[in-house]
Amino acid sequence: MKERPLIQISDLHHTYLRGTPLAVTALRGVNMTIYKGEAVGIIGRTGAGKSTLVQYFNGLLRPTQPGRVIVDGQDMSDPHLDVRSIRQKVGLVFQHPEQQLFERLVGDDIAFGPKQLGMEPAARRERVRWAMEMVGLDFEAFKDRFTFSLSGGEMRKVALAGVLALRPEVLVLDESTSGIDPRGRRELLERLLRLHQDHGVTLVFVSSNMEDVAELVERVYVMYEGRVVMSGTTREIFARPAELRRYGLGVPQVTEVAHTLAARGIRLHRTPLTVAEGVEEIWRTLNS
Amino acid sequence: MSHYNREPIIKIEGLHFYYNPQSERPVHALRGVDLEIYPGEYVAIVGHNGSGKSTLAKHINALLRPSAGDVWVKGMNTRNPAHRLAIRSTVGMVFQNPDNQLVATVVEQDVAFGPENLGVAEDELRARVEWALGVVDMLDYRHRPPHRLSAGQKQRVAIAGAIAMKPEVLVLDEATSMLDPEGRESVLAAVRRLNAEGTTIVAITHAMHEAAQAHRVVVMEAGRIVMEGPPRCIFARVAELRALQLDVPQVMELSYWLNQRDPTFPSDLLFVQELADEVERRVNSRGQL
Ligand SMILES: Nc1ncnc2c1ncn2[C@@H]1O[C@H](COP(=O)(O)OP(=O)(O)OP(=O)(O)O)[C@@H](O)[C@H]1O
Ligand SMILES: Nc1ncnc2c1ncn2[C@@H]1O[C@H](COP(=O)(O)OP(=O)(O)OP(=O)(O)O)[C@@H](O)[C@H]1O
Ligand SMILES: [Mg+2]
Ligand SMILES: [Mg+2]
Repeated sequence: MKERPLIQISDLHHTYLRGTPLAVTALRGVNMTIYKGEAVGIIGRTGAGKSTLVQYFNGLLRPTQPGRVIVDGQDMSDPHLDVRSIRQKVGLVFQHPEQQLFERLVGDDIAFGPKQLGMEPAARRERVRWAMEMVGLDFEAFKDRFTFSLSGGEMRKVALAGVLALRPEVLVLDESTSGIDPRGRRELLERLLRLHQDHGVTLVFVSSNMEDVAELVERVYVMYEGRVVMSGTTREIFARPAELRRYGLGVPQVTEVAHTLAARGIRLHRTPLTVAEGVEEIWRTLNS
Repeated sequence: MSHYNREPIIKIEGLHFYYNPQSERPVHALRGVDLEIYPGEYVAIVGHNGSGKSTLAKHINALLRPSAGDVWVKGMNTRNPAHRLAIRSTVGMVFQNPDNQLVATVVEQDVAFGPENLGVAEDELRARVEWALGVVDMLDYRHRPPHRLSAGQKQRVAIAGAIAMKPEVLVLDEATSMLDPEGRESVLAAVRRLNAEGTTIVAITHAMHEAAQAHRVVVMEAGRIVMEGPPRCIFARVAELRALQLDVPQVMELSYWLNQRDPTFPSDLLFVQELADEVERRVNSRGQL
């Protein structure tokens, strides 16, 4: 499944306000590889450096301190680099949707990217409609709403649609399911999975919701205090609850049930990551 | 609970609210809400995006005034401007977007801002800031500028600012949405502790296992309350919740599906320990046959 490395981070360091009394070191030598076509999760406690790191993925931050970042074969420290082509390829949805929104009307905000790409009005309209459907916003009901008088979850959906509308090859989602209601979240995860499986879109999913991570990604990196401290398949990572807890993290509730049972000497055949798996495994144990 | 003989601390009656009522396209965000919340209660509010949760919360501390109907806080009508200060000191609020709440240039000043405005004296103020930052595990960041923190760190500071006011009612609008699992658990533990000490809690959330900790769950849909009751009763109504396309906590879902396969398996288990206990009991009793 793994093809070629798409994003390669080696020994990356980042200090905010370097050389001032307010200096804060956010990254302390990060090594990470994202392969083309995979769905990978980045988890880590508050302040671990996740949002700082992903800003290097699309060139919002460029390496000026020790470390190397290669995106799609291009060295991101190269001053002659065409950052626009990278931004088109790698779409980053910010953790704070407000930082991404600026047009007065929802439809215009989502159309901004496609317009920059020179899309014709008719095609643009269809693209906006598609992006709004992806995030579960009704086109007619929301296109003429004021961007800044939306509910929290609605605003997040608009920010997400704005990036989706560019149809990037790599989608970097920073805490994008937070604030979205259960229905929206379920539908969004399904649609992202379809983009990934049917269209080969590479997904980088930063999240503090372990349930979402378990459902969406194949591989996980765990960050702690500016470094990568664990990596592996999602099942491998969630089979190590004690370590995760040490890093301020946890496992999905259904996985916790399995670990609690294991501590009492009852081992399920395999550690479940989703409710469906949990039902099967517990049922099997009850009837064996 | 034993609140039947007491006065509600929050009373909401026939509440309607329109955003931009004079415009061509007013938004009818609340469409007749009735709700009473009693002193010492822990109420969770869940519901879809845009269902009116934040709008309702902003009525509880008089940030918004009803288009129709009334809201009383400790008997004070929020329509009366003379009550505004007393209401704000009764109801502490953590907003959905912490950026709207962080006002000072240094974390500890930010946390001190609320209690200072309430006239809390110097020594007490210092103690409260220390305590509140300790609760959210942000003491190490006290001298940092709040706008230069990570999202989860900002959320912790916003929570500290609200609890430092020691309000009688604490309204949390998705206040833990950006926290890591450990941080979320420690904030929830602090909330439970405050509640046990008498603080009334109103917590808006999309995380059903968080709502499961409340005494009462209120489900909103399109500006109305459509279900309310103790979490175990609400989450056991899986079919109705499914019709509303809301979730139940994962444990409750496991419990429900196992019950569908074996009707002797309880369908209303809410917490990890309960489910593990039930499975363990069954495995062990089977061993003895
Ligand atoms: N603009 C900034 N200026 C100075 N320090 C910053 C800034 N942004 C973040 N930091 C600090 O850098 C560290 C890493 O922050 P970052 O936002 O990358 O963390 P994160 O893993 O995304 O956390 P969260 O889960 O809370 O979003 C934190 O200690 C934070 O306080
Ligand atoms: N400032 C505003 N001006 C106009 N309409 C608004 C404003 N704020 C919210 N609305 C609208 O009012 C309705 C209720 O919004 P509210 O923020 O109360 O929802 P919510 O339940 O908190 O949603 P979320 O889960 O997304 O935070 C929504 O349709 C929203 O678009
Ligand atoms: Mg972040
Ligand atoms: Mg809201």
